[in-house]
Amino acid sequence: MKLAQKYNRANLYTSLLILVLSGAVYYFAIHYILTQKLDHDLKIEEEEIVAYARKYKKLPIPNDFKDQRISYELLEKGAQRERYYSHNLYFKPDEREAEPGRSLITTIRLEGDIYRVSITKSSLEAEDLVRLIFLITLSVIVILLLSLMVINRFLLNSLWRPFHETLKHLKAFNLADANEFSVQPTEIDEFEELNQSVLVMAKRARHDYKELKSFTDNASHEMMTPLAVINSKLDTLIQTEALSDKQGELIEDVYLAVSRLSRLNQSLLLLAKIENRLIEDEEKIEFGALISLKIRQFKELLQANSIQVIQQLEYREVYMNKHLADILMNNLISNAIRHNNDHGNITIQLNQDGLSVCNTGSPIALDASKAFERFYKDASSEGSGLGLAISTQICNLYGFKLDYLYVNPQHIFRVEF
Amino acid sequence: MKILLVEDEQALRDSIITYFTEEGSICETASDYPSALAKVNLYSYDCIVLDLTLPGGDGMEVLRRLKDLNKKDGVLIISARHSLDDKLSGLNLGADDYLVKPFHLSELKARVTAIVRRKSFDGNNSIIFHEINIDSLAMKTRVGDHTLNLTRKEYDLLIYFIANQNKVITKSALAEHLWGDEMDLSDHFDFIYTHIKNLRKKLLEAGCTDYIKSMYGVGYKFGA
Repeated sequence: MKLAQKYNRANLYTSLLILVLSGAVYYFAIHYILTQKLDHDLKIEEEEIVAYARKYKKLPIPNDFKDQRISYELLEKGAQRERYYSHNLYFKPDEREAEPGRSLITTIRLEGDIYRVSITKSSLEAEDLVRLIFLITLSVIVILLLSLMVINRFLLNSLWRPFHETLKHLKAFNLADANEFSVQPTEIDEFEELNQSVLVMAKRARHDYKELKSFTDNASHEMMTPLAVINSKLDTLIQTEALSDKQGELIEDVYLAVSRLSRLNQSLLLLAKIENRLIEDEEKIEFGALISLKIRQFKELLQANSIQVIQQLEYREVYMNKHLADILMNNLISNAIRHNNDHGNITIQLNQDGLSVCNTGSPIALDASKAFERFYKDASSEGSGLGLAISTQICNLYGFKLDYLYVNPQHIFRVEF
Repeated sequence: MKILLVEDEQALRDSIITYFTEEGSICETASDYPSALAKVNLYSYDCIVLDLTLPGGDGMEVLRRLKDLNKKDGVLIISARHSLDDKLSGLNLGADDYLVKPFHLSELKARVTAIVRRKSFDGNNSIIFHEINIDSLAMKTRVGDHTLNLTRKEYDLLIYFIANQNKVITKSALAEHLWGDEMDLSDHFDFIYTHIKNLRKKLLEAGCTDYIKSMYGVGYKFGA
């Protein structure tokens, strides 16, 4: 739930509740006050009647005044005296319709007889007043709610804009990206504080990342020299005359390990280089020619495994670094050879949309979500596990898309230009 | 050959010197930037093997100095930096070749030999090893009067062997030389055997002595 929505909801509920309550309180308070006033008028009228009866020893003529009616009723002897107010209906003499009214029922003793006197006044005006107040309250509620909505809609949106801007930048934030992290200046203290914190955080993250990168870079480079020493010492060692077959085998294993280590190191350096976008020098590469060249280079390896290559190549030029194009094709083709069966085949298709390398191989599809991760390799693989990660990075660099799919019996790696 | 080796890592320097001097080359060394600069100023070499990261300065400056002095020494850069930009700027400044650490000594020897051969101005493009005579411009190989019909790989193999004569060369060094180090052939050295077998057969058929010896587990040795 959005903050504004949550806030709005709370706001709406409380204002509705308060307004309804205050409306009710208003209604009852005013109703009470007006009734009190009516009762007071009725009491004065009663006093007048009593005074008149005492003075003239008879009841006044029950004439109807404006909005007021008086009636008498002779009660039986020994009837109880009573006095109470009640809400009643008031019938105007000239109109049939009843109006709300307020009555005072009382008794009066006149020369041994007890009369019931009922004085009724119209309370229509009071009711009108109450209704008016109720309507005003209602319209206040409606206006208030409408203005709340308008405020939320426009003011809140514009108030939150800097926050959303910052959020957008945060979402697009990329450690490896060289672009400076920018925020929009805002007058609101909280957002300004947020912006400053985000800036500081981004700067620190960048700094740490850079530090780590240069550390990795330096470490990898520093590792190359000892590796070069090991290699050169091995080269020197094998020149010594008396080397037994057993020693020869041992030395070969060391050679292989050193070569793997240096290859791994170089792959890591290359990955870092591509990720840091340190590779420039784009040129026009004709992929058809490049693929043909690669097939020629891999000829011996293909022959050794009796793998047949089917090429369906169109003329397609792509702007990219020559070295990276080379690495990309090397990786895709050497994977297709390495994971192939003896007497299998490789189909390479190149058209205007992209290129695909399909190879026969294991009857089980790779886990496409993991295959492109670093150091992922299946048990039979002898590679570094970085080939596809590097290929993915190369494709990302130039906005290509690298996909894997398995269409029995072919494993297909497809690059969309 | 007279070679200057500029390398700060002593262990590596020793290995390279041993490998080169056994062949009768004269190999001088410099372990830091000032001494490298001094030697470059004073003497001329057939080839300078130059490390880029040196104590006291940048190896690139040595290269620049060499060009300022208008010297024609061949330069082979050896560096741990496998970077496309280093490679380009090094070659733009006039380095003849670039080799990334770690490398095989046999590869280094082959590259240096090739540079020295290209730099020699006596117009002699032939490589001679006993009865084998190679015209490196025309890429023609003769054994006595017989012209050999070698494939590109076999030709490269023979040149590599002669550059590293009497040395044991590993299979991986051969594979990397012939197919490039980017192919990651790791354990697929078996098919190198086919090429060596064919080369040996062609040499023997032309009446050549069998110079190629297989060293079990390690590699091959070419020598009388």
